[in-house]
Amino acid sequence: MIRSGVKRGTAELAILSVLETGELHGYEIARRIEQQTRGKLRFTLASLYPLLYRMENNGWVRGAWEVSGHGRRRRRYKLTAAGKKKVSPLRKEWSELFRALRRLAKVAHA
Amino acid sequence: MPDWSKLVHDHLAQLALEQGERAEVIEELAAHLDETFADLRHRGFGEQDATQRCLSEVNDWRDLCRKIQTARRKESIMSNRVTQFWTPGLVTFLLSTVLLALSEIFGPKPWLLTWGHAPTAVVYIPWLMALPLVGAVGAFLSHRAGGSRRAIISSVIFPVVPFIAAILVVAPASLAFDHSIAHHIAPESIFMGLLGLVLAPGAALLAGGLLPARFLRRRSTSRNPTS
Repeated sequence: MIRSGVKRGTAELAILSVLETGELHGYEIARRIEQQTRGKLRFTLASLYPLLYRMENNGWVRGAWEVSGHGRRRRRYKLTAAGKKKVSPLRKEWSELFRALRRLAKVAHA
Repeated sequence: MPDWSKLVHDHLAQLALEQGERAEVIEELAAHLDETFADLRHRGFGEQDATQRCLSEVNDWRDLCRKIQTARRKESIMSNRVTQFWTPGLVTFLLSTVLLALSEIFGPKPWLLTWGHAPTAVVYIPWLMALPLVGAVGAFLSHRAGGSRRAIISSVIFPVVPFIAAILVVAPASLAFDHSIAHHIAPESIFMGLLGLVLAPGAALLAGGLLPARFLRRRSTSRNPTS
């Protein structure tokens, strides 16, 4: 069953997926998603941070400040245990959506 | 290079979070813009192009402010509804009710509107003249809490909602089911009631509420001319 909030879910999945590979700060998350989807998915500052903060509030990611080599303070995010548990059901939902759309497209072409 | 911290700070001036939390959000978003700018410059973009691209990361700062507020606040949606709609709405309702009572007791005789044989609509001119101020108070409270345009308008016209309910629901129901009331109330009187208790006060509230809402919105978007 695909939830109505699947759009937000896919954005959450994108963030959780890149954080699965390691800790990243906001800008790196956005760049990584853009690079890995070859520009098909792009997060702006306005779309990324409200989502990150909501995910942090839900306990899926945790942010911590660090100081970079240039002396700049940045907030680095990492997946929590709850976040790791969330990845798999979201992935399933996402692939269900794709399967459903593929079926729909085939029917439309037939 | 633009001062990203100042830009974010100015745009998120109305972010209703605790001071420390607000400062952290501003620092994080400024760092993001700073890094975006540096990366764009590194990739060969001119300073002006890079600045424009950074600025296009956010189309509507007010909307971002609201979204961050909702996401960061534990109590989130319910709390926002209370501060952005219910509190300003109840304040306007209370003010309007008290002013109506004062007009009835201490004010001059009301203006009586008649339409044929229909009962009159009673219009309290001092009350109507005070309502724009009430609307302005509602708009200010809702705007200050980060209310959307819909929340602002809803809280501004909140005082006439009970009258709408009474006239559009109770009166027709009484007409349909109670013949003794039907004998005294003609359909024209529903219109007169709407005019005196809903349309005229609603217009006065909106007139007072929309002007400051527009002014406050313009002021918050013009704090930084680069947006």
